[in-house]
Amino acid sequence: MLQIKNLHATVEGEEILRGIDLEIKPGEVHAIMGPNGSGKSTLSKVLAGNEGYEVTAGEILFEGKDLMELEPEDRAREGIFLGFQYPTEIPGVSNTYFLKAAVNAIRKYRGQDELDAMEFLKLVKERAKLLKLEDQLLNRPVNEGFSGGEKKRNEIFQMAVLEPKLAVLDEIDSGLDIDALKVVSDGVNAMRSADRGFLLITHYQRLLNYIQPDYVHVLVNGKIVKSGGKELAEELEKSGYALFEENAA
Amino acid sequence: MEQVASEPKNPYRDDFLVGLRSRRNEPVWLLERRQAALAAFERLGLPGKRWEAWRNLDLTPIADNRFPLLHTWGEIDDATVEAALGDVPDVYRMVFVDGFFSARHSALEGLPSGAAVLSLDEAMDAENPALERLGQAERTQQEPFLALNTAFMGDVALIHLGKGVVLDKPVVIVNLMSTKAEGRGVYPRTLVVAEEGAQASVVELFRSNTADAYLNVPVTEFYLDANAHISNYRVQEEGGEAFHLATVLARLERDATFTLHTLAVGGKTARTDIHVDLEGKGAEAELDGLYLAGDGQYVDHHTWVHHNTEHCNSRQRFKGVLDGKSETVFDGLVRVAPGAQKTDARQENRNLVLSPRGLAHSNPRLEIHADDVKCSHGSTTGELDREALFYMRARGIGERDAQALLTFAFVNEMLDTVRLEALKEYERELILRWLPGDETVREIQ
Repeated sequence: MLQIKNLHATVEGEEILRGIDLEIKPGEVHAIMGPNGSGKSTLSKVLAGNEGYEVTAGEILFEGKDLMELEPEDRAREGIFLGFQYPTEIPGVSNTYFLKAAVNAIRKYRGQDELDAMEFLKLVKERAKLLKLEDQLLNRPVNEGFSGGEKKRNEIFQMAVLEPKLAVLDEIDSGLDIDALKVVSDGVNAMRSADRGFLLITHYQRLLNYIQPDYVHVLVNGKIVKSGGKELAEELEKSGYALFEENAA
Repeated sequence: MEQVASEPKNPYRDDFLVGLRSRRNEPVWLLERRQAALAAFERLGLPGKRWEAWRNLDLTPIADNRFPLLHTWGEIDDATVEAALGDVPDVYRMVFVDGFFSARHSALEGLPSGAAVLSLDEAMDAENPALERLGQAERTQQEPFLALNTAFMGDVALIHLGKGVVLDKPVVIVNLMSTKAEGRGVYPRTLVVAEEGAQASVVELFRSNTADAYLNVPVTEFYLDANAHISNYRVQEEGGEAFHLATVLARLERDATFTLHTLAVGGKTARTDIHVDLEGKGAEAELDGLYLAGDGQYVDHHTWVHHNTEHCNSRQRFKGVLDGKSETVFDGLVRVAPGAQKTDARQENRNLVLSPRGLAHSNPRLEIHADDVKCSHGSTTGELDREALFYMRARGIGERDAQALLTFAFVNEMLDTVRLEALKEYERELILRWLPGDETVREIQ
């Protein structure tokens, strides 16, 4: 589904990613862990197509298509979802309208009919329940005045409505208390399926107690320095990143 | 200095003399006011770059009477009238074509007693007492386009509300330009006199059937006696090559309230001067303006709000969106006269620039001559939030659609103060048509 080969990327001229190789197959959940500044968020932004990030070498293929050739909106329409570490507030645009515009833009791209108001509302209500989102949050402007936990739940709610093929979730656990973390994790787990891939990016091992990954990768200094099963996360929890940082240096 | 009587002092005088022939039925006092106004205009001349308030606006394309006065009017089909809020029931409607009153398109039946909505001829026949305010404003001596309109105004719209009269339906004044107006000057005039306790909404619509250049110089005056409450909605959607140089005057006595809501989307060069005089204690003015300037457009709003006595409030909120190579001006003065204590005046101007070639001038000004007042002003000019754009695109919304959504979000609150549902819908449609993006975003709720 996703193949990343020797990916190098820079931000404002500074190289952040220094040769990443990663393959995600349908149904797999991958977790990327790493210390601050290791390039975790850069990887997610590059995948989503943020123009502030420049790919200087390597390639990214999504279902065989060269991702670098696609605008951010077309990546989303192809089925990639980025859950933001810091979801953006959009004053004046209601959450529901925003999602409807997104759903229909994606459907149009895929040659499907747009959802009518009733169908859309039904879908939204159903998925909102999954994330325990109150109706009132649906009618408020996107993320405006939301608490940290509400913002993260809103991200997963959007994912649940958009039903992507690949979800890249950037620090979806940061800033959450344990109750909120459970809700978010339940939402993600409910969306796991044999044809959907996940890339979880996290700083903390704690998330992986709630969402069991198939693979764990340790990202240090712009490179994946170790890959393994979920036991790698436990190892990290005990030893910390220091050991890997030494190896990387 | 000696002058030869037959030699015109400027190219406007010939037009004036021709116009006089059709005004034989006008009372002497009105003809004298017209003459005084023409003399004032001749003395003032067209404002040039040396006038502080006019320095951004190039008036050379209209100099030397290049748009001579239109003496007759053209044809307008019913569909055009229909499109101009014409299908909205429950309004009193006055339609003017090229500045001439079209009784056939108008609907004024059922006015409550004490209320009169009349053209100039009708007002003269009825000897309506409010008429004497016409052309009386002192500013005629200082404002060239107010003077020019006073000299040239044709079929005036007069709205006279007697003491305590509350109009049950809004008055919609539709100013339409036919192809006849191409290359010509038109001078619509509206006079609203609201006596004590009277209340009404007045909608003014400026539309055209021609994409060619013409000059429209409308003036609207409001006289609000004690405790009168008037809302004025102005929608300016002139043709793409038009010059629109408008003046609004409002004079408020004790406890009167005046709310102005403008939407400016049309014209090549469009300017609206708004003068508000708060003369009586407790008077209150709210001015809301939204302007959308596309490629090649110049859109200008100047306001002068005079707090001439104590305990008056004023609030101004102007928002602009600029696309393509466009230029806008917001220049607003709040002047608090000596002794006008307990003044509460707020002024805000926000501009959203969608294109690197858009130029927004913002100049809120305060001139305070009293010490116990609350005055604030703010001004911002910015671009669309790049992070918000990326966030939307990352959800599959196309770039132009995302821009449209964010732009609509920026302007949407300006519709909140439109209290007439049909008008709100009309304005929303105008805004949505103006926005970038495809049809998907047109369903914005």
